Amino acid sequence: MAGAGPISANAPARRNAERVAWFDWMVLPTVAVLAVIIGYPVVYTLVLSTKKYNLLDMTPAKFIGGANYDHLFSDPVFWHSLGNTAIYTFGSVVVASLLGLVLALLTESLTGWRFRTARALLLTPWAVPFVVVAFLFRYMYLQNGGVVNAVLLDLGLIDRPVLWLNNSALALPAIMVANIWAMTPFFFLLLSAALAAIPNEVIESARIDKAGTWSMVYHIKLPFLRGALFISGLLMIISNFNDFAKIWAMTQGGPGYSTTTLVVYVYRLAFENFDFGYASAIGVVWLVLLLLFALAYLRALRVNA
Amino acid sequence: MSDIRKAARRFALVASTAMAVSLMTASSHAADKVTLTFANWAAAEGATRPGIEAVIAEFEKDNPDIQIKSEAISFSEIARQLVLRVRSGNPPDVAEIAGNDTFLLAQTGKLEPLDGYMDAAMKGAIKPAALQGFQVNGTLIAFPWTQAPAGFWYDKAVMQKAGLDPENPPKTIDELMKDMAAIKKSQPDVIPLGLDTTNRAFALQSNWPWMATFGANPLDVANKGAESDAMKAYLTWMRELAKKGYIDPGRKIGEFRPLIAQDKVAFHWDQVLLQGVIQSVNKMKDDEFYKHYGVTTQPAGSSGKSYSFEGGHQLVMFADSAHKEAAWKFIQYLSTSPFAIENYTLRYESSLTPLEKAPSEALAKKLDTPIFNAFSDKIMGTVTTPPYGPNFAAGATAVMAGVQQAITSDTPIDEIAASIQKNLAQ
Repeated sequence: MAGAGPISANAPARRNAERVAWFDWMVLPTVAVLAVIIGYPVVYTLVLSTKKYNLLDMTPAKFIGGANYDHLFSDPVFWHSLGNTAIYTFGSVVVASLLGLVLALLTESLTGWRFRTARALLLTPWAVPFVVVAFLFRYMYLQNGGVVNAVLLDLGLIDRPVLWLNNSALALPAIMVANIWAMTPFFFLLLSAALAAIPNEVIESARIDKAGTWSMVYHIKLPFLRGALFISGLLMIISNFNDFAKIWAMTQGGPGYSTTTLVVYVYRLAFENFDFGYASAIGVVWLVLLLLFALAYLRALRVNA
Repeated sequence: MSDIRKAARRFALVASTAMAVSLMTASSHAADKVTLTFANWAAAEGATRPGIEAVIAEFEKDNPDIQIKSEAISFSEIARQLVLRVRSGNPPDVAEIAGNDTFLLAQTGKLEPLDGYMDAAMKGAIKPAALQGFQVNGTLIAFPWTQAPAGFWYDKAVMQKAGLDPENPPKTIDELMKDMAAIKKSQPDVIPLGLDTTNRAFALQSNWPWMATFGANPLDVANKGAESDAMKAYLTWMRELAKKGYIDPGRKIGEFRPLIAQDKVAFHWDQVLLQGVIQSVNKMKDDEFYKHYGVTTQPAGSSGKSYSFEGGHQLVMFADSAHKEAAWKFIQYLSTSPFAIENYTLRYESSLTPLEKAPSEALAKKLDTPIFNAFSDKIMGTVTTPPYGPNFAAGATAVMAGVQQAITSDTPIDEIAASIQKNLAQ
């Protein structure tokens, strides 16, 4: 402790002493690259969102102000897609984080080869490419010949095959199951690491106080995991908001619009109808929503630090 | 030492002269040789790649001054990529295209009109209907390569097991419903009817004849076609098919093909090329195949008429091509040369040729089969062309989303029809 005082007291002075003004300009190349690869597309999307611009129409794009945004407010498919995006994103993240937490707590006391084996098995889904996950589940859900229906029929739980991906009410939850299966290992990994970082003294003193299992989890461990849960949750919210591969490979947004999310809708508008103007307007709304989550993430990181 | 230097100098002189001469010769050959870029999905699919490669090799042998650079792009991607390449000023010389995508590309105004390249002999050799379908604003925007209309395929073995007459497939929707009930009862693991109900432009193209046989035209937005009684009758029928387990929703057309080859699909709405796919799966000889499977016109709905769609492939030339004469030569070769017809159109696509008459006796014999005859004599005449273009692509999402809603939910049909109309009108 003797050395701690002088070091912290001198730190600002040392930072000022070592500061070289022109070092700040070294960031310029990075800023230039970011401006080209991120800034330009964002600005161009903003510009396009104010134009009537269809790739099939070779005449120059026409400026139409906020008409694309007006259209967006009266477009039922947009609102439906937004709702589906929220359900898919938050539903998947909440369930996957809870499952990841439970698995992390269950495997916490394992040591040696048992822990290594359990961890390897539990992390396997995370290593499977998303498109492969989508096709695996698509074939597992098949009405004729799908393993899910075959097992449920054999167990007598259903008397006829269920149309998992071809029922408007079941399709979104069915895709979410595939998504949760793929995402849970991420939470398991992060929360296992966070659990391992809880100081032994805290656990020991709780044990001395004869804290029960539930009390230990709820009052001791969960408060330590809050930061990791929040940050990993935000990261996954951002990632799921952009999830295209699983939904497209499994249902292409159908049946009807029951699994159409914002990203699927934008893809259809831009690359099937070639309506880049309107697709850009939806892209801007999508970007704003993502920015809000990104800001929350940065803030959480700062608070955590 | 000086002798060695002299010899080295001489050798260098001879070598550099030889190199210069060979470079000049090579560059003059290169200047004579035209390279055509050909965007196609035939080279992207394992089943057809050997065929297209053989035809290209033969073309290059016959035309040593033309080299073909084949660019493999998947079927589902090709329209997107071609539109983007047209917009960026980098289109290929020639491309393979089909269905609504042909008309989407034409919308860009960057397809070379082909009328001027066809001489009278060629015009007379092609089936008039095959050319008529690709006229946009009075100009020919695409040249027919293969013809692959859809027919109503039936598995005679499955029909027989269900106690049905295998030589008497259903002629009306009512007969079809009765036959499917018998099949479902006798063979619960068989899908009675293979129909593509995915949400994509091709699925609307495939379902268009079924809508037409009920008298429906959902894309007639001005007259509220999606809310018409005919469209509601079609949607109600589709719901009945799903509720009774007669269709397997969500499968693409190609996913039914291996199943019918294994007697797991009784009736299947598919193109002429199905024969080739079935035989590649179950290895049946031609005679066995004709005994086991048949194809006929679509069972007629309330309109009393049967319809079909033409799902063949076309070839387009881009207006920006710097080698239009060579491109036209290549297009003609792929579509009408006896070698290409025998070794690609028939062998790998199992499709019809757009030629009015087979170019040789041997080819005429190969085209004289029960399946090709059924398509040529009965089905081709029922082909109806949907209102292709950008509105078709945009409308396909709305219409097929409605069809999917009808077959997978209990939402009232009136409500679904109104929602399709609303989405189409936007």
